[in-house]
Amino acid sequence: MTASAKAWLAILAAVVLLPVFVRHAIATEIWIFAIFGLGLNLLMGYTGLLSFGQATFFGSAAYVAGYLLKFYGINVFLALGLGIVVGAISAAAVGYLCVQRSGLYFIMLTFALNQMFYFTAYQWTTVTGGEDGMPGIPRPSVLGLDIHRPLAYYAAVALLFILSLWIMKRIVESPLGKILQAIRENELRAEALGYNVPRMKLAAFVVGGAFSGLAGVLYAMLFGIVPLESIGFVFSGNVVFATLIGGSGSLYGPVIGSFVFIWLSESVSSMWARWPLLLGVAFVIVVLFFRGGVVEAWARFWAWRAAHRAPTVAGADAPR
Amino acid sequence: MSELTRRDVLKLGGAAAAAGLGFPAVLRAQTKELPVLGLWSFTGAFSDVGPVLDRGMKMALDERGMKIQGRTIKYITRDDETKAGSATRRAEEAIDADGVKYIIGPWSSGVALAVSEVAKRKKTFHYFSGGTEDISGARCHKYSFQWAASPYTAAKTVVDTFMQANPKAKRWHLLVADYAFGWSVEKYIKEVGKGHGIEFVGADRHPLGEREFSNYVTKAAANKPDVVAMINFGLDAVTGAREIFNFGLTPKVPLILTWSSGVEELVQLNPEIRENMWVGSNFYYTADTPVAREFVKSYQAKFGGPPGYAPAAAYGMTRMMLHAMDKAKSTEVPDVIKACEGLEVEDLVGKMRVDPKTHQTLRPYFFMRCKKKDAMKHPMDFADIIATGSTPLPAEYAACKDIGSL
Amino acid sequence: MKAPLLFSQVLNGLATGMLYALMGIGLSIITGVLNIPNFAHGALFALGAYFLYTVIQLVGNFWLALLLAPLGVGLLGVVIEYGGIRPLYKAGHDYQLLLTFGLSLIITEGIIIVWSPVGMSQLPPPILRGGIDLGITFYPKYRLFVMVAAALLVFGAWLFLEKTRYGAIMRAGIEDKEMVALLGIDIHRLFTAAFALGCVLAGVAGALTAPIRGLNPWMGVDMLGIAFVVVALAGLGNLLGSIVAGLLVGLAQSLVALVWPEASVAVIFAVMAAVLLVRPQGLFGIR
Repeated sequence: MTASAKAWLAILAAVVLLPVFVRHAIATEIWIFAIFGLGLNLLMGYTGLLSFGQATFFGSAAYVAGYLLKFYGINVFLALGLGIVVGAISAAAVGYLCVQRSGLYFIMLTFALNQMFYFTAYQWTTVTGGEDGMPGIPRPSVLGLDIHRPLAYYAAVALLFILSLWIMKRIVESPLGKILQAIRENELRAEALGYNVPRMKLAAFVVGGAFSGLAGVLYAMLFGIVPLESIGFVFSGNVVFATLIGGSGSLYGPVIGSFVFIWLSESVSSMWARWPLLLGVAFVIVVLFFRGGVVEAWARFWAWRAAHRAPTVAGADAPR
Repeated sequence: MSELTRRDVLKLGGAAAAAGLGFPAVLRAQTKELPVLGLWSFTGAFSDVGPVLDRGMKMALDERGMKIQGRTIKYITRDDETKAGSATRRAEEAIDADGVKYIIGPWSSGVALAVSEVAKRKKTFHYFSGGTEDISGARCHKYSFQWAASPYTAAKTVVDTFMQANPKAKRWHLLVADYAFGWSVEKYIKEVGKGHGIEFVGADRHPLGEREFSNYVTKAAANKPDVVAMINFGLDAVTGAREIFNFGLTPKVPLILTWSSGVEELVQLNPEIRENMWVGSNFYYTADTPVAREFVKSYQAKFGGPPGYAPAAAYGMTRMMLHAMDKAKSTEVPDVIKACEGLEVEDLVGKMRVDPKTHQTLRPYFFMRCKKKDAMKHPMDFADIIATGSTPLPAEYAACKDIGSL
Repeated sequence: MKAPLLFSQVLNGLATGMLYALMGIGLSIITGVLNIPNFAHGALFALGAYFLYTVIQLVGNFWLALLLAPLGVGLLGVVIEYGGIRPLYKAGHDYQLLLTFGLSLIITEGIIIVWSPVGMSQLPPPILRGGIDLGITFYPKYRLFVMVAAALLVFGAWLFLEKTRYGAIMRAGIEDKEMVALLGIDIHRLFTAAFALGCVLAGVAGALTAPIRGLNPWMGVDMLGIAFVVVALAGLGNLLGSIVAGLLVGLAQSLVALVWPEASVAVIFAVMAAVLLVRPQGLFGIR
């Protein structure tokens, strides 16, 4: 079985088994966050652009779709589609400003623009509810199927996640994906080869934003509220860290990272109020010792095992 | 025998839930336990109040030996992180996974509105104490109750009492937090003020979470008021009071904190800043009722200092819930709600009655005057209560037109 | 609009602008010399305030505290740079970001554990309490002091960087690290010194702010965003630019608050976005 097939099997198994062991709401949140991470990783892992303001697209989509769901009762497909579009458009706007810069500038710019959206949402209380967020988001039925029960919604979200993962896989294996990776490796070379680098980067933004927007709408419908945090820099930071912890060098890194991050934050936070301290310590440790994240650690582990097995195998095959 | 096994499974489920992995409600069969949720902030902007809210609620439950109507009370707390999103999430999880049917809290009014939605959706009894009119007003519904006094009651108590003590202070400048609650209190103060012949020389609105009050202070000073009244709370009130003092406006000009949590805010200031401050609050620990005296005594004995508003509110709300269960002789939510409507008791702050039409608790509101440094008998001796008022919200202002059905 | 109000607002804007300039210079030095995104800058600001509070509690002297608090933060900076940042020089921005953000969490939670999450007040020293009648308006003495003190510090930092040999080395480090190393200068020591200097500046900004805004564990959060705006507006590594940008931002906030208070925070970021749209290298950056 190929590595890819193995990975898909593992993911399908996880999707099916997760709700048995974990509260449905948390399980749903894990897949939503994974979609969010996929969007980010197109920028961060594949294009080499550390977008530290991804919550801008997540939150904007959540607010717009949430508002229309709440006050205009739009149907769920329209809400999802809108979320994707809003995510893409806001990403295009932010991306346009940011792709002209690189390195530190780029990071700081994405952060600062995120702050701008955040403070706009914070102060525009008549529309967004400000600090209180926008509660009362309904969860309309899908083609007549009621998805109010936690397990039903979980199923819907998990399905969308698998679809998103498949689409992202196609994207990164497509010519666009290859170009983005080329840009990550050597931007000047890519430019010399004739690619319009800023436009490619912008494309990455838009696609990443679309995924983030989808995640945003799903989040709004999960708890029936669009909280202010969903557009804040902490959310932006969380998805970056989750992806780095999972391993930004792989397609599945964001998925693993989402698991680790959400499970950890949920379980530790109910035990100790000062859990952000542990989170900070975890970041420092990962950064100093486990830079490739879980995926790399896993790969290293298998490589170590293979290296230590080789002599025995060779011994068995050695001619007498 | 099978009950034991069930209980063991429940214990396992509880432990796993605490570890973030919860066995879904499917395994949590019938139980004689009554899970009650205290939704408090242990992290985030209001993280200082979480632990003391917990204390207050626990004290009220312990008084009953953790039992009510023959059932053992299982007291659960969840951290709302002072965020509407987290509160919604955790409340729903507690309801779905732990079978919670009764929620007390949260602390922040914005978060409370989100939790109130959850209560309505999940048909859970919910008692809240804080700065919003909506829970007993525009967003009223059968499942949420409001413990804090109506802002009208607060405004009337504050203005009437202050004018009685300072009849010549006719020029008022208002500094209002820019959100619905602030606007309501502002409206009521102006209404009541008319009756006293007060001239409102200025009224500025500041965004919630404002840190830079210098602009507002200079504007206030420019109007040469006889008194400055702030309608905000928490860090905004503390920062505002500090700046007003830094600019030299107080203590010459008296400063009113219209809707304060009392101890929690006053402790963040210094005696110099508090001089000539007049404070309105839903509770202060020198309140002279039998229940309050007992509560303050036990709290002081247990924890070393007097209780602020937070533990008192948690204590008070829990007691109201328990009174309702007594009256209903049941712990089923619809029965308790019906019993709570019209409930009349002599409790923490005095005579308390729950208005069945709006679920607003009609009760006294306190007005205090802060002490000068040398008049303070101990470091927490911030103020003396000089009056209480209980005028309820007049019917024409009531925004709760139809509380709906269960 | 009345003249006294406008005048006070301008003074407020200058005072906060000076503090923003301090934060901007500190961050500019760190990002310029070390080329890392320092997401702990806000937390270091907060730490400066808390150190000031504690020294005053222990010793009772504001001036001593104002000297020791920033030095304390600078010392912590040395430890952070040596232990955390040095191993990550070549690691890429992702990890540096993770590190500094993790540090900001550790520092903030540390403040909560050591001091408590409840906000605290710190009065200015007795001779700086109350206000002065400036003719046009009445203004708090302490705020005037902050304006002057911050201006002096900013000037001092500029003098150091422009006129001393060490400053020249630092500026060279911003321009071209490799050249500096080739010239035989210990690049590691340069980095540690630069980071520590940035921390000292953040710490003193926090210490100066404490009597105005009080103390709470999250007081650095907003400052971080503003510091980034100042640096982005100025152009990375441009120190004079940071001063001008800091003042601009402070004044903009102050004046916007007069007419549109709700937008007074968001407007800073909007201005930054607008400037960068027209001039991607910032107001003073070279590209």
